[in-house]
Amino acid sequence: MTDIARLRADRIAALPFERVEPTAGIAQGTSHALRQLWRYRELQGLLVRRELKARYKDSSLGFIWSFIRPVMLLLIYYFAIGYFLQAQRSIPVFGIFVFAGLVLWGLYSDILVAGTMSILTNAGLIKKVSLPREIFPLASAGSAFVNFLIQCAVLIAAVLVFGQMTFTWDVLYVFPAVLLVMVYGTAFAILLSALNVYLRDIQYLVEVVMLMLFWTSPIVYSYRMVADVIGGTWLEAVYLANPITVAILSFQRAVWLPSPSVQSQLTEMGIDPSTMHPADLDVRILVLLIVGLLLLWVSHRTFLRLQGNFAQEI
Amino acid sequence: MASSGSPAVDAPLVVRLDGVSKHFVVRREKSLKERLVNFGRSRRHREDFTALTGVGFEIPVGQTVGLVGHNGSGKSTLLKVIGGIIAPDAGVVERRGRIAALLELGAGFHPDLTGRENVYLNGSVLGLSRNQIDEFFQSIVDFSEIGEFIDTQVKFYSSGMYVRLAFAVAVHVDPDVLLVDEVLAVGDEPFQRKCMDKIRQFQSEGRTIVIVSHSSDQIADVCDRVIVLNHGHVVFDGETGPGLEALAASFHTPPPGPAPEEQP
Ligand SMILES: Nc1ncnc2c1ncn2[C@@H]1O[C@H](COP(=O)(O)OP(=O)(O)OP(=O)(O)O)[C@@H](O)[C@H]1O
Ligand SMILES: [Mg+2]
Repeated sequence: MTDIARLRADRIAALPFERVEPTAGIAQGTSHALRQLWRYRELQGLLVRRELKARYKDSSLGFIWSFIRPVMLLLIYYFAIGYFLQAQRSIPVFGIFVFAGLVLWGLYSDILVAGTMSILTNAGLIKKVSLPREIFPLASAGSAFVNFLIQCAVLIAAVLVFGQMTFTWDVLYVFPAVLLVMVYGTAFAILLSALNVYLRDIQYLVEVVMLMLFWTSPIVYSYRMVADVIGGTWLEAVYLANPITVAILSFQRAVWLPSPSVQSQLTEMGIDPSTMHPADLDVRILVLLIVGLLLLWVSHRTFLRLQGNFAQEI
Repeated sequence: MASSGSPAVDAPLVVRLDGVSKHFVVRREKSLKERLVNFGRSRRHREDFTALTGVGFEIPVGQTVGLVGHNGSGKSTLLKVIGGIIAPDAGVVERRGRIAALLELGAGFHPDLTGRENVYLNGSVLGLSRNQIDEFFQSIVDFSEIGEFIDTQVKFYSSGMYVRLAFAVAVHVDPDVLLVDEVLAVGDEPFQRKCMDKIRQFQSEGRTIVIVSHSSDQIADVCDRVIVLNHGHVVFDGETGPGLEALAASFHTPPPGPAPEEQP
């Protein structure tokens, strides 16, 4: 026996035995899972970069595409729909309004669609190495977030060009808006990614349901129009229970509503600007955030329970 | 038989398995349509397949174990259970030390990334920090001999190049336990020789190795011990020479009885 071998044997003899089971997370709890995630943070970063790269792989313009798409969308909504279809008449600076909603919605839909697929798209890794598997839906959320930041750069530029922004503290509503979307998006992505391993239809279902959900949030129409029709009824309560709706309302309040041209045009139309969102927005944000964090915890527990058989099912 | 690498009698254990069983549900419907069409019949349609039955053994530090058996005998499944990639249905698997696994042709590589990016991805999967990988990087490329292809997407690699890179990464992460599943088969002769040399070096450094291989020569060459699987049962566990004879015999014997608990 060589010295180096003896040293190794001594070192190993001093280590405790660890039970190997991919489902260990259940018994050991959330804090253990979080420590594991922290240990793999570098890998997490690599996976996010990989997803971003894979998105525009082999294209010669590469990352520039992620700017071109939102700019085109913005121009279409600003001119074609805002002016030619006259949406501008009921919603001032319609281009910014709709683009703000679309960008935030895009974040949510990106997280959900990519997150749901994430376990299957990373089958190669999952079948070969033992890892905390939550990192795959989390990496999808991370790369969706980076993409969102890029689009936000376009949004900020547009606000400066079209909206003549003035500073108000309402701009802080950006944070709860993004947080709500991240929390709910991640919670659903973790849950659906695990279910999708056992029932492959989930990924198609998600795409269809997202198409429908798009219209249940005030993205291309305003909350005011909804309140005019169902204001004060239980339907409105249901409508506002949607966390993404509340997130979009606070996002609009941060980036669209404070603009002086929006304010003056609304007043001209005889609309009180503060009725563009529900009066108790702050409370709703808080309640939905707490519910969202609980949901995140529950879906993580479910994920841990289901992940033991991932490698053999994909 | 390589007696030089045999561990001392009192060597500490690194891997401990006890009563490990694994069955797979085959023909389970994964789409809604299949589930609806087979609704009701679904229960009867499920078929359980037992891949491992009551497997138990201990591996001391520094031992090189050859895991052999016919196709479908459960070797890869057993290696994945040890590696913590699939969960056993029953039994206990315990392990200590850093582990690196090369399972069924290669580590987890992503086809769209270059070799270089995959080295970093794989290194961090195996628990290395970026700085540590920087340190090993050149040595990994040198060992794999893939040269300038390191900056090509791995989907354009030949299967030999793929395995070369995977093997090079796995042997550079300083594992205490190395699990190798048939990866050496696709390498050309010089590379196979290089791998065997590396394995011998690992033995002298007191690392523990579990090799799955269909090449009796390779097994006889490096292993201290052979475990023979037959339809998920361990039918032999011991010295290499008799082990390879038991392997040859197992090809002609029917699977061990359906109710193993009735056996002595
Ligand atoms: N994910 C899975 N789902 C269903 N059955 C599986 C799965 N993985 C393996 N099996 C079955 O388990 C049995 C053992 O497979 P395993 O891959 O362990 O065999 P092996 O000994 O490695 O064979 P080979 O020498 O061909 O590599 C096989 O009959 C296989 O069909
Ligand atoms: Mg195999």
